[in-house]
Amino acid sequence: MLLLLLLQATQSAPPPVSSAVINLAAWVALGFLGLMGIAILYYVFTGKIDLGGLISEPSGEASMSRFQLLIFTFVIAASFFLIVVTKSGFPDPIPQGVLVLLGISASSYLVSKGIQASSKQGLGPQDSSVTVKGSQTTTTLGGQTIQFQADVVGLSDETVTWTLDPATGRGTIDQTGLYTPPPATETEAHGKKVVIQAAAREDVSVKDTVTIELL
Amino acid sequence: MFVGQIISLVKWEVFVFLGGLAAIIAFQLLNGQINTRYLLYGTQKDGTKYFSTERVQLLLFTLGVAVFYLSDVMQKRQSGALPDISTQTLVLLGGSHAVYLGGKAYMMLLKNVRKGEQ
Repeated sequence: MLLLLLLQATQSAPPPVSSAVINLAAWVALGFLGLMGIAILYYVFTGKIDLGGLISEPSGEASMSRFQLLIFTFVIAASFFLIVVTKSGFPDPIPQGVLVLLGISASSYLVSKGIQASSKQGLGPQDSSVTVKGSQTTTTLGGQTIQFQADVVGLSDETVTWTLDPATGRGTIDQTGLYTPPPATETEAHGKKVVIQAAAREDVSVKDTVTIELL
Repeated sequence: MFVGQIISLVKWEVFVFLGGLAAIIAFQLLNGQINTRYLLYGTQKDGTKYFSTERVQLLLFTLGVAVFYLSDVMQKRQSGALPDISTQTLVLLGGSHAVYLGGKAYMMLLKNVRKGEQ
């Protein structure tokens, strides 16, 4: 008897769901999705979801392959939405050309990542550096000028800004790296040291220093 | 009546979400919050940057195809089907991507090796 009841229960159609329950479920789903959408937009707008690196590589540079993928994703999503709104139904079938377009876009992105992964320049922040070179590390008050050079590696802008520490009283340096020691009359600088710094203009955190002793 | 309201609201939800997201991204791209530094520059094997014509052509083809397709959708949306993309357009776009990827691979992986050989 029990077996018969179980068999009947499994074979019989599920009880009809009232339209009120269906409507309620639809409203709940709609409310949930709507709130999610608003929350995401709010967080993106206020910066809690940071899109700063949306089209950037790990090295911090913007990526053309990510940019084109973003453009095509939005274009196809917006087109799909327009058709759904107009037709009140899903476009069927999705044309092969659209699928091929998305395939080209996504596979180009993947191949681009593969190329980058094969090169150490494509992985992580690049090692950029400035190295200051000069012919001597000591000079005398009123003595000869010293020409310094700065070698910049890993940056597109290879120019630097030359500065002294302390900025005054221990000679001057121009923007070609030519250091002029203080005149012999500034005896208070005698025996002191001055730090010469070259900072890359493109990224001031990339810098190098040398110390000159004033004899 | 309820079903009609729900469908209408779904349309508005998706419209606001997609439109809002696109607007925020466009705004952040324009004011620099989304990093676009070196978008049109490539990197050689030794890390130096160069102005990349292959990126410029990919940008132009991408924007061209995107605008062309969106305008096609706007014109044909009453048909209720997504418009197809012609084979010629796909070949052009594929060629553009091939040029971009070929240029990138050459500059990142090969350029300096050949320089060293000379």
